[in-house]
Amino acid sequence: MSVVGRFVLKTLHGHFKRLSQLVVDSSAVQQLKNIEEKSLRVTVDGGGCSGFQYKFEIDEKVNNDDVVFEKDGVQIITDKISLDFIKGSTIEFHEELIRSSFRVVENPQAEEGCSCGISFSVKID
Amino acid sequence: VTRSRLIPSRAALTLTPAAVKKVSDITNRQKCQGLKVSVKTRGCNGLTYVLDYCDYAAKFDEVVEQDGVKIFIDSKALMTLIGTEMDYTSNKLTSEFVFNNPNVKGTCGCGESFSV
Repeated sequence: MSVVGRFVLKTLHGHFKRLSQLVVDSSAVQQLKNIEEKSLRVTVDGGGCSGFQYKFEIDEKVNNDDVVFEKDGVQIITDKISLDFIKGSTIEFHEELIRSSFRVVENPQAEEGCSCGISFSVKID
Repeated sequence: VTRSRLIPSRAALTLTPAAVKKVSDITNRQKCQGLKVSVKTRGCNGLTYVLDYCDYAAKFDEVVEQDGVKIFIDSKALMTLIGTEMDYTSNKLTSEFVFNNPNVKGTCGCGESFSV
């Protein structure tokens, strides 16, 4: 295989790998360290004004069907079903004057949801 | 017949002790006079609250002073905000200002946008 071909394959592989995972932003890592917690669970639930909504909770227990993403000593835990809805997204801690909270952003599966960023609808393709 | 005395007007906005503390923290850190509350057309239920640093009151703005902190209310937001209690809640995952507004008819599921 040519060098170019190998490069293209490697890039594509990296691209698809990124799309099947969660990206943990350094702001989320920092906030978890600030509140002295090691792990954060992200789940997707039905509800909210756009059909689905993101939920965050502190949870250290890892179940059988869970997927764990680790970065700089902190863990983001999610279950397989939720991961299908949020793979490829970024988990960040967003600070504003009026509200500071964890958020799921740049979700490739989501249509533009509610302006609050908690609720979203799934792209149908 | 004696004319009734003017009833002392109630403040347009009240703050809970938690909100007073947080606002004073913010204004001390940012070295600004106070915070300005306004509303914006956004969100799935019509309106949403906006909070900003503020140094002086614009024309027709309402100024509320409570326990040494100043809240400026945008003149356009005054009618929707009147009687509101401003609270601050904080836990490990989120910290936010909450507005308990008696004029609200409906809110969005997430509580960010509302209609009057």
